[in-house]
Amino acid sequence: MKITLLKSLVVLGAFLTFGIAQAQEVSGTVSDASGPLPGASVVEKGTTNGTQTDFDGNYSLSVGNDAVLVISYIGYKSTEIAVNGQSTINVTLQEDAQALEEVVVVGYGSQAKKEITTAVTSVNVEDFNQGVVQAPAQLLQGKVAGLTVANPGGNPNQAPTIRLRGLSTVGGNQEPLVVIDGILGGSLDSVDPADIQNITVLKDGSAAAIYGSRASSGVIVITTKSGKSGQPLQVSYNGQLGVSTIANQISIMNREEFLAAGGNDLGSDTDWRDEVTQTGVAQVHNVSASGGSENMTYRVAANFRDTDGILVNSGFQQTNFRTNFTGRLFDDKLKVTVNTAFTTRDSQVGFNEALRYATSYNPTAPIFGDDAPFAFNSAQFGGYFETLGLFDSFNPVAIANQNRNDRDNTTLNYNINLDYKISDALSINVNYAKEDEKLDANQYYPTTNLWRGNALSPTRRGLANFSNFQRNFTLFETYATYTNKVSDLLNLTVTGGYSFQETDQNFNFFSLGDFPAGVDFDFSNRIQDAQDLLEGGRVQASSSRQDDDRIIRMFGRVNATFDDAIYLNAALSREGSSRFGTENQWGIFPAVAVGADLNKYLNLSNVNLLKARLGWGVTGANPPQVGLDQQIFNVQNGADGQSGAATTQAGGRAANPDLKWEEKSEINLGFEFATDRLGATLDFFTRDIRDFIILANVESSEFNGFSQRWENAGTLGVNGVEFSVNYDLIAKENLKYNTGLIFTHNKTILEENPQGDQVLGNLGAPGQNNTFVVRVKEGEEVGQIWGPVWSGELDASGTPILSDINGDGNLVTGQGSALDEDADFRVLGTGLPDFELGWTNQVKFGNWDANVFFRAVVGHSLVNSFRAFYEPIIGSQASYNFVNTDNANPNIRTAQFSDYYVEKADFLRLDNMSVGYNFDMNPDSYIKGLRLSLAGQNLFTITGYDGINPDPNLADGGSLGDLRSGPANPLVPGIERREAYFTQTTITLGLNVNF
Amino acid sequence: MKRFIKITLASVALIAFSCTDLDDELEDSLTEEFSIEGVTTGGSGGSTGPLLSSYSRLRDGSAGNTGWFATQSVTSDEMAVGQKGGDWFDGGIWIQLHRHTWDAAHERIGETWNHAYGGIGEVNTALSGGNLDANQTAQARALRAYFYYRLLDTFGRVKIVTSPGEDPPQASRAEVFQFVEDELLAALGISSVTASLDLSSSPLGTEVNNYRINQYAALGLLAKLYLNAEVYTGTARYQEADWAASYIIDNSPYILCDEGCVAPNLAKRPEVDSDPETLEGYATVFAPNNENNPEIIWSIEYSSVGLGGMNFNQMTLHGPSQLTYGLDAAPWNGFQVLEEFYNSYEDGDARKEANFLVGPQTDFSGNALIDFASDDDDLQVVYTPEINELEPNSLRQSGARMKKFSFEVLGRQDMNNDYPIIRLGDVYLMRGEARARAAGDWSLSLPDVNAIRTRAGVAPLTSIDAAGFLAERGREMFQESSRRTDQIRFGTFDDVWWEKTNTDAFRSLMPIPIAQINASNGTLTQNPGY
Repeated sequence: MKITLLKSLVVLGAFLTFGIAQAQEVSGTVSDASGPLPGASVVEKGTTNGTQTDFDGNYSLSVGNDAVLVISYIGYKSTEIAVNGQSTINVTLQEDAQALEEVVVVGYGSQAKKEITTAVTSVNVEDFNQGVVQAPAQLLQGKVAGLTVANPGGNPNQAPTIRLRGLSTVGGNQEPLVVIDGILGGSLDSVDPADIQNITVLKDGSAAAIYGSRASSGVIVITTKSGKSGQPLQVSYNGQLGVSTIANQISIMNREEFLAAGGNDLGSDTDWRDEVTQTGVAQVHNVSASGGSENMTYRVAANFRDTDGILVNSGFQQTNFRTNFTGRLFDDKLKVTVNTAFTTRDSQVGFNEALRYATSYNPTAPIFGDDAPFAFNSAQFGGYFETLGLFDSFNPVAIANQNRNDRDNTTLNYNINLDYKISDALSINVNYAKEDEKLDANQYYPTTNLWRGNALSPTRRGLANFSNFQRNFTLFETYATYTNKVSDLLNLTVTGGYSFQETDQNFNFFSLGDFPAGVDFDFSNRIQDAQDLLEGGRVQASSSRQDDDRIIRMFGRVNATFDDAIYLNAALSREGSSRFGTENQWGIFPAVAVGADLNKYLNLSNVNLLKARLGWGVTGANPPQVGLDQQIFNVQNGADGQSGAATTQAGGRAANPDLKWEEKSEINLGFEFATDRLGATLDFFTRDIRDFIILANVESSEFNGFSQRWENAGTLGVNGVEFSVNYDLIAKENLKYNTGLIFTHNKTILEENPQGDQVLGNLGAPGQNNTFVVRVKEGEEVGQIWGPVWSGELDASGTPILSDINGDGNLVTGQGSALDEDADFRVLGTGLPDFELGWTNQVKFGNWDANVFFRAVVGHSLVNSFRAFYEPIIGSQASYNFVNTDNANPNIRTAQFSDYYVEKADFLRLDNMSVGYNFDMNPDSYIKGLRLSLAGQNLFTITGYDGINPDPNLADGGSLGDLRSGPANPLVPGIERREAYFTQTTITLGLNVNF
Repeated sequence: MKRFIKITLASVALIAFSCTDLDDELEDSLTEEFSIEGVTTGGSGGSTGPLLSSYSRLRDGSAGNTGWFATQSVTSDEMAVGQKGGDWFDGGIWIQLHRHTWDAAHERIGETWNHAYGGIGEVNTALSGGNLDANQTAQARALRAYFYYRLLDTFGRVKIVTSPGEDPPQASRAEVFQFVEDELLAALGISSVTASLDLSSSPLGTEVNNYRINQYAALGLLAKLYLNAEVYTGTARYQEADWAASYIIDNSPYILCDEGCVAPNLAKRPEVDSDPETLEGYATVFAPNNENNPEIIWSIEYSSVGLGGMNFNQMTLHGPSQLTYGLDAAPWNGFQVLEEFYNSYEDGDARKEANFLVGPQTDFSGNALIDFASDDDDLQVVYTPEINELEPNSLRQSGARMKKFSFEVLGRQDMNNDYPIIRLGDVYLMRGEARARAAGDWSLSLPDVNAIRTRAGVAPLTSIDAAGFLAERGREMFQESSRRTDQIRFGTFDDVWWEKTNTDAFRSLMPIPIAQINASNGTLTQNPGY
């Protein structure tokens, strides 16, 4: 199949290159009722010979004498004019009401926008966030009501967290399903943001239901750019150069402040954070060629990205190729689409720990051992200084410079789609797609690194870790669509289909060390020299494999339109997953939605649209892995592997053969309103997540010693409101100003929690293990930050005296009593925000355009871990640096979590601002279009929060030092951990050229 | 063309509506229990065969900073985990254990419960498999009885589960006691412990194997059970404790490890002449090479390779001490010995030298060991018996360090020492105490106490009382997870001591873990006082 594709591309290329004999020159202007149309397509019929109009609507083309010109433009009826020897042909195109009707992808088909009965937001390329955007989701940050894209700070190697309408599941996958050009389940990383034409977000349950359980957290439908029929070859280049600097970091003490606070003087003055950071530089290059003839369209794109992060020795290089090809055969009855994408990414992940240690490392310590105030054998540390004897204190520069953390990714996507029109009413579609992903990770810690290279150990210096992961995803789907006009009043479309998804994955890991000391050499390339190979129990290795992880689905849908104004969509699917025990594999998921174009009956003047819609849908969610219905066993080897072996119960959880589908049902009520200049959408939704799947505590006596197993263990309720409005403030020919506001609010309540109230979110080492800061309580909102309250007073030793909140004269502040009735604990803030706002402003003035985008998030709080750990002036911690924010109180001498370390994190941020200029080009020139732009991201933030990033932290990955084996816990939002990457401000220069 | 389309359509439909197969094998997990043919070498006489997994569960929490060890030791007057600034506060759990202010959510207490049931579950699985011979069945029941003994001692009222999946009602402490007694007697093939025991029909053997339960180990457990019977049930059973202990002393091949009981000193630093080449007597019983020590009747097998879980070096040593022994990893500086407890040893007591690390420290070559982050101006690491305070700023070099399970040079985080459950020295003290208590005359304990003292190189006592006995038992049994039980039996657990003022009597039982109560649908009720 791949070879066939290659052949067609080669043939295509040859065809394009040699062209066709030409005889005569034609020029003219293409316009519509209001003036010239730039970018309209002018093609000689039956050939690939063609051009586009320039900014003033002018074109010029050499054609054959008997040529017929086809002039087309999106939203207008295309017009054919015979040349007949004319040298000037001016054309006025007529608007095409039919074509103007925006079409929205709804899953296994598309619908006219006005017929949509669910909450769907579609964002086109023109409205994307500008600047260097490394992840597709960031194109939408703040643009879609209900969609939260949580920024990972400035780390180029960390994907943002995407969340639609708050929580949709607890144990399952929180991320929306991604559908790329009709292929569901693909990885967002396989699309370069520069190739995206449109992103459509399906928000509510009835919209997502047709995609099945994987859509339980919503759907993001990505349509990549493609060639157009009859469009001549167009080559474009988009380039960007971005420069990033640290936007915010937490304040810490400098040398003088540190010594004044009683810190140990090690004789130097080092700005550790300056030493481990740099100015980040990102380059993005996108080259594409697209075009089409009557029967085929194509687009080929190559993307290169090269990014250096603000942490030294971090960054990535990515190459991505994408080809889209569509051909029509048998009188347009059969449409064949072949898409491929190949992505390779080499990441230097670096070590975020360098940033954390840079915050807490003694500011008087020298970087190199030669500068130590006492005799110091720095040779064993490769010349670096280290504070020996201090727990959890390592030279940040040594961490960043000595060690290596590489991750190489390769993803190959390909699919073929056949769409055959059996008759005007009946068509059938067959889709086959694969995604093959490989990941290789390698960390190397040389023998001279103290932190993980274990430089002080006489027996285990140096360490190399290797892991590789492979995932193969196969999708086979077929569906048939039958359309029938039953009467003048009733149109019916019936769709039925089958979907088969299969994932195979495997993982291997090994780790070994004890390399020859004193040799400056990367022994990860020569592990045969590891002395671990000679000593029992040193080499660590593990592997896992999971094949045939399947989801199979049969689905049907009816779309009915009455009187061209009342719309009904109903869908039903039966879905099975191999992750359940045989008795519980199948679930049935219904969805119904109705909508009405009220204005058809009200006939309000100056109103183009007034629509009300109501939808209800049920989707399911899977457990996080296969085999949870079965007990699994490990081999228990005897000492030294020489005294026998036996099997032992394993898995850390008991089996649950009764585990069943988690069900999410959602009701959505929406209104849409539009006039010529104003558009507004209002949605209310309420969602219940029943039988949610979670690792629950069980009685270890009953479950053969296991104290946990996966259960369907509770109900969550989410209610929300989303509002968006757009208004053309100025709509003159040469000056256009559009402003838009989106508003998102949702609240998640834990309605049932059979396993009892809990406190979660352990602050962690050093010294704050068993300090849980988020309460999970039945009947309460998710994300309550919970803890004692500082009275403002200190005892003689500088320990904060906590408040007797309930005034019972009895101070109960022990962590174990956190949930007791008489406990002096209270809600210190909520981790999830009350509402989010996005405010867009777009101005077009002549050749200039500008975008200003503000984002605000209000009502949430964050536990400022940096402050909680490092702000108290702890006597025996005089060798660590202290955090020194506005809130720092030099008299607090004990680290004791309380409300003092919980801060409101409301913020207003100038998220994105860009200015662009489109140069007027001579239509005859080699360059047909030229655009220069300048964009800024994260330009300023107004917040009272003293931590690094006031963005809500939606889920918790655990405290430092945890193995983080599981996914981040969505019941524990609101903690800013110490590994938080510094936020950055990026200024980007962009160049677009069309040839 | 039409035909092609028809065929295509037909095959598509066929695939679509026939493939509904969702069976998924687990490729990377064993879903059945296997007995595995293993290589069995003589050597250390490892615990092989179908009970290996069951015995391996003993390692959980027995010699690390979790579960059983933490709840038995940090709650007693032996040791504490001081809060060293930001380090080791951990939500106050260590302070709570020391000050007797713990609650039902305490993580260490929950672990103690879950580890015990983890062992019970493993034994029940082995027993229900039906592949065990009579001896293995007897061992399995005795081993399960020991896990229940831990629950009996710590929580009192628990559910007695004897096969997988059962959910019986919560038993009273007396019922749990009865169960443990019955199971041990059954394993020994007797109906009661008498002065003249006949174990000839016992399914348990007499063969020496540190890692398995033989007749002497089961009798040792019974002696322990009877010695504490009054605490557990209100009814004293000292006579039976005496008989059980006496049988072991009179009939078993085990000896008190004394002069001539010599082992290479694995902590010997090659360049430090003052480090002895060998250890002798008491210290050898707990050394990294104690696997064949003649005093140990039954012990938990720990090994750096494959059988991890003993982490005393990490738990107690200060970071720089890594360089004294050339350890794999920098230690965590947590557990400190209480000054009063340290001072209860007289100079010259071999046990003082063996059990503690104090004074100026040196590195692998014998040079002064430096702590650049020292709390005082003296850069050399000096462990002082005095601890300035429990919290918030317990000095990082304060407190003697527990070294009974001694460290080996170039050691790993997981140590090689085995952890005794029953050893002859303990049996002597149990017999002495049982005799004294049975007769109400502490002087009857003197022969056994003095056997222990003589071995330790200190003068025999001429008189003794309860407090004196407890002190002697403390000196002998330090770091062996015996102190909490002993203090409860002697009525001192609710006394006041350093940095501990709480005298709640109900705390001689731990609370049932709150997570278990919540998960039990009301079938577990909390112990009084919590």
